[in-house]
Amino acid sequence: MLLGEQQELPFAERFAQTQASSQFQQSRFYRELIPDRQPNPGEQLAFQVNLDACTGCKACVSACHSLNGLDEDETWRDVGLLIGHDPETPYQQHITTACHHCVDPACLNGCPVLAYEKDPVTGIVRHLDDQCIGCQYCVLTCPYDVPKYSEKRGIVRKCDMCFNRLARDEAPACVQACPSGAITIQIVSLNSVVAATAENERLVPGTFKSSYTRPTTAYVSRKPIPENARPIDQSRLRLEPPHWPLIVMLVLTQMATGLVVTTGALTFSDQTGFKMIIGSASLAICTMLAAGLAASILHLGRPLGAWRAWLGLRTSWMSREIVAFGGFFGLALALTIVAWLPPRSALFDPSVQPNLLIQGTRITAVVGILSIACSAMIYIDTQRPFWAWPQVLPKFFGSVIVTGLIGGALLTVCHKELVVLSTRLLTAGLAAFLLLAVWELVGSLYALHRKQHLLRAANKIIWFRLTHLAYLRITSVALVTALGLLINRLPAGFQFWLTLSIGILSSGWILGERYIFFVSSVAPRMPGGVAP
Amino acid sequence: MKQLKEKVTRWIQQKDGPQTQDLVLRPGKFGLGQIPARLEPDDTTTLICGYCSTGCGLKAHLRKGEAINLSADPDYPVNLGMACPKGWEALAPLRANDRATTPLLRDKASGRSESIDWERALILFCERLKELKRTYGPESVAFLSTGQIVTEEMAFLGTLFKFGMGFLHCDSNTRQCMATSHVAYKQSFGFDAPPYTYADFEQSDVLIFVGSNPCIAHPIMWQRVTQNPRNPTIIVIDPRKTETAMAATVHLPIQPKSDLMLLYGLAKILVEQGWINRPYIRSHTEGFDQFASFLETFSLSGIAATSGISAAQLRRIAKLIHQGQRVSFWWTMGVNQGHEATRTAQAIINLALMTGNIGRPGTGANSITGQCNAMGSRLFANVTSMLGGHDFASAKDRAKIARLLQIDESAIPTQHSWSYDRIIEGVKEGKIKALWVIATNSAHSWVNHDDLKRAFRKLDFLVVQDMFTTTETAELADLILPAAGWGEKDGTFINSERRIGLVKKVARAPGLALSDFKIFRLIAHYWGCGLQFSRWSSPEAVFELLKGASRGQPCDISGIESYAHLDRSGGIQWPYRPDESLDNNERRLFANGKFFTSNQRARFLFAKPVAPPEIPDAEFPLWLLSGRGTSSQWHTQSRTAKSDVLRKLYPEHPYVELNPADAKELGIDSGDQITVSTRRGSLSALAFVASTVGRGSIFLPMHYPEVNRLTAPVFDPHSGQPSYKACAARIERA
Repeated sequence: MLLGEQQELPFAERFAQTQASSQFQQSRFYRELIPDRQPNPGEQLAFQVNLDACTGCKACVSACHSLNGLDEDETWRDVGLLIGHDPETPYQQHITTACHHCVDPACLNGCPVLAYEKDPVTGIVRHLDDQCIGCQYCVLTCPYDVPKYSEKRGIVRKCDMCFNRLARDEAPACVQACPSGAITIQIVSLNSVVAATAENERLVPGTFKSSYTRPTTAYVSRKPIPENARPIDQSRLRLEPPHWPLIVMLVLTQMATGLVVTTGALTFSDQTGFKMIIGSASLAICTMLAAGLAASILHLGRPLGAWRAWLGLRTSWMSREIVAFGGFFGLALALTIVAWLPPRSALFDPSVQPNLLIQGTRITAVVGILSIACSAMIYIDTQRPFWAWPQVLPKFFGSVIVTGLIGGALLTVCHKELVVLSTRLLTAGLAAFLLLAVWELVGSLYALHRKQHLLRAANKIIWFRLTHLAYLRITSVALVTALGLLINRLPAGFQFWLTLSIGILSSGWILGERYIFFVSSVAPRMPGGVAP
Repeated sequence: MKQLKEKVTRWIQQKDGPQTQDLVLRPGKFGLGQIPARLEPDDTTTLICGYCSTGCGLKAHLRKGEAINLSADPDYPVNLGMACPKGWEALAPLRANDRATTPLLRDKASGRSESIDWERALILFCERLKELKRTYGPESVAFLSTGQIVTEEMAFLGTLFKFGMGFLHCDSNTRQCMATSHVAYKQSFGFDAPPYTYADFEQSDVLIFVGSNPCIAHPIMWQRVTQNPRNPTIIVIDPRKTETAMAATVHLPIQPKSDLMLLYGLAKILVEQGWINRPYIRSHTEGFDQFASFLETFSLSGIAATSGISAAQLRRIAKLIHQGQRVSFWWTMGVNQGHEATRTAQAIINLALMTGNIGRPGTGANSITGQCNAMGSRLFANVTSMLGGHDFASAKDRAKIARLLQIDESAIPTQHSWSYDRIIEGVKEGKIKALWVIATNSAHSWVNHDDLKRAFRKLDFLVVQDMFTTTETAELADLILPAAGWGEKDGTFINSERRIGLVKKVARAPGLALSDFKIFRLIAHYWGCGLQFSRWSSPEAVFELLKGASRGQPCDISGIESYAHLDRSGGIQWPYRPDESLDNNERRLFANGKFFTSNQRARFLFAKPVAPPEIPDAEFPLWLLSGRGTSSQWHTQSRTAKSDVLRKLYPEHPYVELNPADAKELGIDSGDQITVSTRRGSLSALAFVASTVGRGSIFLPMHYPEVNRLTAPVFDPHSGQPSYKACAARIERA
C-alpha cells in the first residue's frame, strides 16, 4: 500500500500555483543586463564579464545546460581560474567563458561546409547543426575551445548567445541566472573590438593572442589582473585527441605523394626505370590515396555530408585540401588505368601511352605536392605554435621525401636492372630519414630546455607524457642507422629485405610522429580548473 | 524557378532539420521564459532545494506530475530567481544508477548482498534491535541521522526511537556542522535563535564574515550581499584568500585558530575607545562588566602577534565597526568547527551585543547554517532537545509533550542522549551494539574516520537507510533500507533565516525505495507501537503535531495554517503565531531587545583562549586546513558526483593547495603528486601552488573520501562539534 502511494505523483497538483498564462517573472532581474536596441551597422552584440562580480559559483554553466536542454554531459560555458603566484599578494579570479562571437571567427573561416554563420545584425556566430558534417576542424581552429564535439550526434554544437531569447528581449540563460549579474550583453562597435584585440592583446593572461580571431567578449575589472597571474591549469600537460583516422590519412597521403614525386622524378632521369615501375607505382599510389581518403571520411561524424566539403573553398583550407586530394586521387586513378591498359589497347595509339604516362605522372606529382601543401595549411592555419609552418612543412614534406625515396627503392629493388637505382634511392632515403629524425629530436630537446620557448609545453608532453614513445623513437632511429650500415654489404638476395625493413621502420617512425603531431599540439584554451 | 533555387540552396546549406529542432526554444508558459521545446511542461510547482541551508525555491517543470526540468523560482523571497549549480542539477542524483532500489541484506561471512522484501527487512530489523535491547538494555542501540531529510521525518525518527522503541542514544550529522551555533545561541540568547533575515545582507553598512566563504558555500546568500545598495564595507576574517576575501573591502588573513583571540582584540579596542552602546548593554544584556574586565587581561600586541594581524589593522577594523550604522556579523564552519568554537561564536555575539547591532535591519550576530534542514533538526528532531526546542530534563516540558502526543510521560527519557562522538566511543567500547545510520555518510565525513570504520566493523548490526548503496557507510552496512530522496517525498525544511519551506514529491522513487517517513511508519508497525503513532499518518499530519509542540515556544509556528499556506506565502519564518500577519516576509528577531533567557537579557559569555591540542611541530610542520572545494560539490558527494555537469565543475581527484614560498622550499610544482600526512594517516593529492593559502598552511577540500582520515578527533567542549579546520600535517613529493 505504502509502495503504491510512493509511486503516485498527485502531490504537486494540490499546489497548482502557477497559471499557464502567467507572466515571465525572471525578466525583472536582468532588464539592465541586455541592450534595449538592435546593434547598428558597424556594431555587434558581445558578452561582457564583470570580474569583480564573478565569484566562481558556476551557476551560469548549469543554467545554460538546463535552460537550453543540452545533452547530459554537454556544457557550453566553462569557468576556469586565474591564480597569482606572488606569495605576499594572494590573488585568484574565476573566469567564466563561452563563445566569444569573434569578429573574425576562426571556426567559421575554417569550416569546409559553411556550417557557421555570423548574423549580419547581431554578430552572433551561429552553428548550423544540420549542416555540420562533424569534421571537427572548428575544434582545432578555435583558440578558446568553444565548439564541443558530440560523439553521439556526430556534430559539434556551441553557444549561440541564446539568440532565440535575445530576439524576444529575454536575456541569455547565463545572463539571467548569474546571481551577481556579472555577465551582461553589450553592444560593441567593431572598431573598438579591433582596437581591443590589437597585436599581443589577450582576453586574460594565458589565453591566445586576440588578434587571431578578434573575440568580442570583454573581461572588465576595477582591480588590474596582476602580471604574475596565470591559469591554474597552465602547467598541466594535457594530451590532445589523436584523431587516428587523420593520422592514417596524413601518413598514407604523404607516402602516396612521395611515391608519385619519385616516379615523376624518374621521368627526367631514367625513363626506362620509370616505365618498369609505373604500373606498380600508380597502383600503390592509388591504393594508398584511396585508403587515406577513406580514413578521412571515417573521421567525419556524419560521413554522408562529405559531398558538401567543397562549399568552404573561399576561406577554408579544409575545403581546399579536400578538393586538392580529390583531384590528386582522380589523376592517380586515371594514371593507374592508363598504366594498366593492355599495351595494344584500342583506346590509345601505343605511341601516345608512354608520353601520356610521363606527363600524367608529372602533373599528378605537382597536384600531390599542392595537396600536401593544403594539408599542411589546415594545421598551420590553426595558429597552434606546434603547428606553425617551420614545424609542419619540414614534417610533412620530410615524410614525403623519406617515404618517396624509400618507397621508390622498394619498387625498384625487385627489378634486377634497377638495383643500382634502388640502392641509390635507399641511401638517399636513409639520409633524408636521419636528417628528419635528428632535426625532430634535437629541435625537440632544444625547445624542452629553453624556459621561454613557445614549444616547451609540447615538448614536455613529448618527453614526459609520451616517454615510452620517446624510447621507441630513439630505438628505431638506432635500428635504421644500423640497417643503413648494411647497405651494399649484403649479398644481393637480401637487398629487398633490407629495403623493406628500412621502409617499415621509417613508416612506423612517421606514424609515431603524426601521433605526436596531434597529441602534443597543445590547444590554446581559456583558463581551466585545478585538474581534470 | 525561384522555388527551385531556394530548394537547392536549402539542400546545399541546411539551416533547419532534426539537429536544429533539438535546440529550439519556445515560450514556456507558467511564468517561465523560453525553454527547450522538447522539455515543455504541462504544469510547474515550487519546492525548496535539498542541498544547503540557503533554502532556495526551485521551480520544477512537470509533465504529468513528474519533474522533467528545473529552474530557479523568480518569486521565492530567498533566491529571487537564482540558484547555484547544485540547485540547477538537483534532479540528476535521483536518476543515478547506484540508487538503493530494494532492501539489501549482507551476509557477514561472504560479504554478498541479497535483495529482500520490506517485510523481511523490517521484521529482521525489529527482531535484532529488540533482542539487543533485551540483552544489553536500551542504551545498546543508537542512531545517527541527518540534516538532509524533512522536519516531519526527523521528528518521527526521534520520537519513534525514543518514545516508541524506547532507546536513548541518538544524534545527527548537524553535530558536525551546527552544534556550535545551537549551543552558543542557546547560552547567549536563551534559545537556539539565529536572529536575522536575508534582507539583512542587503541592509548592512558593514558586513563581517568570520570563517565563512559564502561565494562558494552559499552563493545565493552572496547574491543578496551583491544586491546591497549601501555600498557596504565587507570584512572577511579567514586564513585563506577565499573568493569572498577577494570580493571583500578588507581581508584579515589570520593565523589558523587565532579567531577567538582576534575577536577579543576587537572587543577590547571597542571598549577602550568607548565605541560601545552603553544604553543597550544596560537594558538588554548581562555580564558585560565581567567581560570588560576579562578583556583587560589581554594586550593588543599579544593579540596582534598571535593572530598575525597588526594592532593598527585591528584598530582600523574596530573603527569600521564603530562607524557603521548597521553592522552585521556572519559566521560559518570556520568558527563552528573549532576546538573552542562555542566561545568563538559567542565572541561574535558579544561584539554585536556591545555595539547594539542586533534586532535592527542590517545587523545581527548571524550564523549561516550548513545543511538544508539543520535548523529543522535543531528544533524538532527530538535528539538533543525535545520536540520544539524543549528540554528533556524539564518535567514541565515532558508533561507538555506527553500530553500533546497522548503518550505516557514515563515513555520520555529524562536523560540527555549521547552526542555523536560519545556514540562512536560507545561503539568502540562495545556499549553500542547496533547502529542505525539515516541519510548521512559517517565513514566519509567523520574526523579521523579510519578509526570510525574500525569501530563500525565491530558492530553487531549496522543498518544504513539511504538513497544510495555506494556511500562509504552503506558499504559497511549489514542491512540497507532503500530511501526515497529529496523530490520524491513531501515535507518541510527550515532554512538559515528560520524560514519554513515546502518540499514536494515531483519524482517517483526507484524500485521499492520508500520515503523515510513511510519507512518509519512501517517500523512503528513492525515494532508494535503503530497505535501510538496512528496520528502520524502523513507529513502534513505530523506538521500539525509540530505546530502544537512549538506553541508557546520562541519557535512558535502555530499560526501557519497548512502546507498550502507555506506554499503560497513563499515560506514563513518562525515565529509565526496565530495573531501574526505576513505583511513583511523578511522578519528578524529581537527588535524589542527582549531575549529568550529567563530575565530576557542576552548574556556575555567568554573564556580564555587556549591553543588547539594539535599544532604544527618539527615532525608535522604545517597547518592542514579543510573546507568546501567548489560550489558544485556537496559534503561527501553522494549526490553531486551523480551529475555530469557538476562533475565537470570540480576536480575529480583530491588536490592540496599550498603557498608558492612553501612549494619552492619543498621543491614542489603545481601538478606534482604529493603525499599529505598527519598523525592519523596520509593521502596522495595533486599539488596546487596558490598564493591564496598562507605560508605554513595547506588546504584540502573536504569532499574526497580520504581527507577525513587525516583530520584530528578534537572537539569543542560545549558543543561536541569536531574541529575539522586545523591540525598538523606534513607534505612530501610522492
